Formats: sequence, structure tokens, C-alpha cells
Amino acid sequence: MERYLVKDLMVPISEYATVTVGTTLLDALRVLERAQDAYTVSKYHHRAILVLDADGNVVGKISQLRALKAIQPEVELTEELAEIRRFKFSENYLAELRDIRSYGKIIKKETLLVAAGKKVEEFMQAPTPGEFVSEDSSLDIAIHRLVAGAHMSLLVTRDDRIVGVLRISDVFAALFHGMMAAAA
Amino acid sequence: MKELEILFNRIVQRVNINLRELHFDVSPYAATLFPSDQMSKFYAFYGITPGHPLDLHFEHSALAGSYFLGKCRVRNSLLYKSDIRGDELKRKDQSIRFDRFTLTMNKDELIDIEDSALVKTLVHNYSHDPETPEKFFIKDTLAMDYSNIHGSPCDGTFLGPFATVDLTTMRDCVIGAYSYIQAGEISHMDIAPGTIWVNSPGNFNFFYKYPADALAEYVSLSPEKVPWGILIDFIEQRKIEFQRVFDYANIEAIESVPKTSSLDRYAVVLPNMRIADNVLISQRAYLENSSLGKGSNAQENCFIINSCLEGNNVTAHGAKIVETDMGSGSFVGFNSFLFGKKEARLKIGNGCVIMPHTIIDIEEPLEVPVEHLVWGLIKNAADLAENSISLEKLGTLHGSFTQGRMHFEGEGMLLLKAFKDRIFHILDVNGAFFEDGQKAGHAQRNQRLSLNTIQPFQFGPMEGMYPNIRILP
Repeated sequence: MERYLVKDLMVPISEYATVTVGTTLLDALRVLERAQDAYTVSKYHHRAILVLDADGNVVGKISQLRALKAIQPEVELTEELAEIRRFKFSENYLAELRDIRSYGKIIKKETLLVAAGKKVEEFMQAPTPGEFVSEDSSLDIAIHRLVAGAHMSLLVTRDDRIVGVLRISDVFAALFHGMMAAAA
Repeated sequence: MKELEILFNRIVQRVNINLRELHFDVSPYAATLFPSDQMSKFYAFYGITPGHPLDLHFEHSALAGSYFLGKCRVRNSLLYKSDIRGDELKRKDQSIRFDRFTLTMNKDELIDIEDSALVKTLVHNYSHDPETPEKFFIKDTLAMDYSNIHGSPCDGTFLGPFATVDLTTMRDCVIGAYSYIQAGEISHMDIAPGTIWVNSPGNFNFFYKYPADALAEYVSLSPEKVPWGILIDFIEQRKIEFQRVFDYANIEAIESVPKTSSLDRYAVVLPNMRIADNVLISQRAYLENSSLGKGSNAQENCFIINSCLEGNNVTAHGAKIVETDMGSGSFVGFNSFLFGKKEARLKIGNGCVIMPHTIIDIEEPLEVPVEHLVWGLIKNAADLAENSISLEKLGTLHGSFTQGRMHFEGEGMLLLKAFKDRIFHILDVNGAFFEDGQKAGHAQRNQRLSLNTIQPFQFGPMEGMYPNIRILP
């Protein structure tokens, strides 16, 4: 395990679920569904979708959490919470208020239809500087970046191109096996 | 350029420097704020009593139509029709408790106004800041029409029209129109118009914000026109009645006022008024065809019209009560506007607490049940249901509670206690409980008050400014 490099554990970009800018949330989820169906023939279980620009560059990522955020009617709620937070209400109060305001508003046909038509670029997560790792980096560096940025995956680079995705689940599995072997 | 203009520009610059981090520029509002042609037309006046220290110090300032009582210093400032009431300042050797500290005053407290502009503003109470117990400072501050600075030292602050800061030290803050803030200490906050915030850290936190569009009907502010709305119109329509009491040096005393009550000579009283014992009527109060029961008070800038106050009613600074019947012991907070109509009277039950900056504007008769806390904008029974809570239920609140646009966190019992203690204190200091020569308050002591006037320069480059004056016993 000590000799593992990032490229040994990454999912190649060619095998990852991708959509292009301009795709709706509903179409993006269809792509993800097809990728999940292919899980039986591929070794990769997909939980996220990469968003590519017209030149095929990765410009964003849609995790399951991002998709849920797109469905939540966020704007009104966010404004109210931001306002209340300034006036010294506790995080506990804000959490309860969020529950109250959200109740019965998400799982509604109208809300779901609005969310289905949203374009991926409206809610995708753009990559941040700490979210990249070179394919020749050691797992030490990758683990540090996953932990420091609280990322579920890293984008793997070769020169200035993105060639794959390093998922936290694969790193964790490798770490766990390494630990078991060390303890044996 | 005249000295008045130079001074005004200097104050605006100082306020703007303090508010630069909030990207707030007071210049557009300030441009039309001071009627420069009026600054030399009104005299200033001050009270002399045997009960309060007399120490007034005016330096390089304009004071048109303003009133002073107690120990006050005004330097490099413009005051227009403002009341600086130092009758509740702390006294030498007096001790106050703050948390685990007991603070003993080594001199009489001073209201210290410097590099500030106050328009029709009330300054009252005493510094609640334990760091400056002997100095109630107002510095680099611009306060607009009918704002209240109550026990709240300010440094680098803008107060919009009808804004109130209560028992709160402020540094570099913008307080929007018709906002009421009582929060101990705040800094670098830009607070939107119509925000009602009462925070006692660790005890309770109450927040309500008016819908912007609805509030705009009552008070609005823009750089092009300042300020306007129903509240301003209401006051402007009655402005002429104040001219009579300010134009004459001596006006006839109203004999129907009991000996235990006091009626300020700068209050407007129109027929037919009934005034019971232990009533305090402060200057710039406007009373018409109403009844004030025993122990009631009408504080500065109050309007009480076609209404009945049963007794022990507090009408706090700037509150307006029209076509309303107030039950015994009910309280109306700062700048509230109870606007009943002849065919749609408002009835407030006994022991109710109408929170500061509440607007009740009805077209159908409405009754607030006894012992209720009321807040926000109310135009009908449905609004009342959303914006009120029984004091009994309030006392049981623990943790989080939201109702309509109101948010509450903490112990309801502590909020209830804070209000009840405060109301009792106000009645007490105003002399509501005076009996057999005991428990005298402002209502009795103010009868031993006389007034002097001071005049500004009438001509030349100093027109509108006042000479430097020190007034001592």
C-alpha cells in the first residue's frame, strides 16, 4: 500500500458519469441512473456526475447533496436564515427554523418540476484549488487533501488535463486493507 | 460659507468616516435634514430645578428649539428641536450593579454630545454601559426625526426617522427607520428599517421585522425626499398647535390639573381633557379630548386623542394613541401607533404590553384581550392573532418559538419579567404611586421646575450658532 499512487485507485474519466453544461437536472439524473445500471458490468459505483464544458474540460461536479440542494426551495429560506443569524440566534434555533420552513415544501409536484428543469450549472459545485491531485501523487497527499477540504472525491490531473476521479470510498477501502495487513 | 454650514459638513464627514466599513453614506439624507433658515428662529431652553444638578456647557454648537435638563455638554454639534433630558442621570456616590461588579459614581453623570447632529431627537435615561458609567456619550452621530436615544451611548451611528435605541451601547452602526433595538452592546451592524430586536444574551432573544412594503406606507426614507409617510403626516397635521405653546413666553396654567400631577408648559392640551392624580405629561406631548387615569403618563412626543386611559398606563416616548380605550396598567412602548377610528375603536385589555414600535391601524373595531403581549403590524383580528401572545403562554416559553414573522429564543418568563419590572420602574420614577407625600416621582418633582431661554446669533457669519455658554448654579 505504501507504494500506491493516486492513479492506482482513481476512476478514469472515460468511465465516469458526465454531462455537458446546459443539461437539466432531470437529464443529469438519467445519465447517473444509466451509469448505476452499468455498475453490474463495471466495477465503479457512481454517486456523482461531472459537468464538462464544450471543450470537454471539467467545470463542476454534482453530488447527491448538490442535487438535493437544487430541489430545496432555498432562496427564501436562505435569506431569512442569514438575517436571523446576524441577530444572535443560536445554530440550534436556525436548524429548527429550517425544519419548520421546509416542512411540506420539498416533496411537492410543483417543487420537483421546477427543480427538474434547472440547468446543472445553476447548482453544480465548481472545483476549488484544494480539490485537485496529480495522478503521480502518493496516497498521503490525497488523504490530506480529502480531510483538509472535507471532500468526497478529488479531481486527478495529468499535466493540465483532468484524467480521473479519486473517490474517498476507494481510498478508505485501500487504507482499511493496509491496516488489516499491518496488524496481521 | 457660514459657520453653521461648515459645522454641518464636518459632522457629516465624521459620521461617514465611522460608517465607511458599512458603505453607508449619510450625505444624501443629511442634505435636506436641517432647515438652515430655521436655525436662528427658535430659542433653546433649559430647566432649573432644586432636584437635579445644573451644569450646562454649550460650545460651538447650534441648539434651535432644543431643551436641556441636568448635566449636559454639547460641543461642535447641531441640535434641532431635540430634548436632552438629564433627569435620570446617575448621581455622585450612587452605586449600581452590573453582573458581579458594584460601580460607585465618583461624580454626577454627564450627557456628552460631540460632533453630532440630532433632529427632533429625544435623549433620556442614563448610560447603561458599565465601561462609561459617568458619561452618557453621543459622538459622531446623526439622528433623524423622532428618534430616541434612551440610555444608549452612541459613537459613529446613524439613526433613521423614528428609530429607537434603548439601553444599548452602539459603535459604528446604522439603525434603519422605525427600528427598535435593545441589545446591550452592538457594533458595525447595518440594521434594516422596521427591525424590532430585544436581546438579553443568555436569557432571551426576540426579533420581528416589518414587511418592507407595508412599513413604507408609514415611514419612508430616500435620498430624494426625507422622511415621509403616514406617521410624518399625522404629526405635521398637528404641528400648528405646538406653535402657540412655543411662541408665548407665558401661557395660562390649566387649573383642572391636580396638585399631584404635572403638565409641562410645552405640552399641547386641547378640550376636553380629564387628568387624574399622579399623572405626568411631558413636553411636546399632544393631548386632545381624552382622559388620563390615576398614575398614567404621556411622555415626550406622545399624542393621545379621543382616548381613555384607565389608570397606571405608560405611554412611552413618541407613542400615539387615537380612538382607543386603554385598560388599567396597560403599557404602550416607544413610537407605537395605535390608530383606532371613530367608527372602529380599539380596546386594549388590562395589563397588556404593546411592544415598542407596534402599529395597530384598523378599519373595524378590535379588542386586545387582557394580559397580552402585542407586536408588529396589525390591521385586523387575523393580524392580532399572529402578532400577539398571552402573557401566561409567554411565561411558559422555553427554547425556540416562532409565530408569523416573530422569532423568539430563550426563556419567555425572563422576557415577561423584564417588561413587568421595566413598567413598574417607569411608573415608580414618574410618580404614579405617590401617596401621602411618599413615593414622589417626575409628576410631583416637575412642578418645581422653571425654564430659561437662550438665543442664537441672529446675524452675520455665526447666524444660527449659539454663543459658548457655561451655566452653573
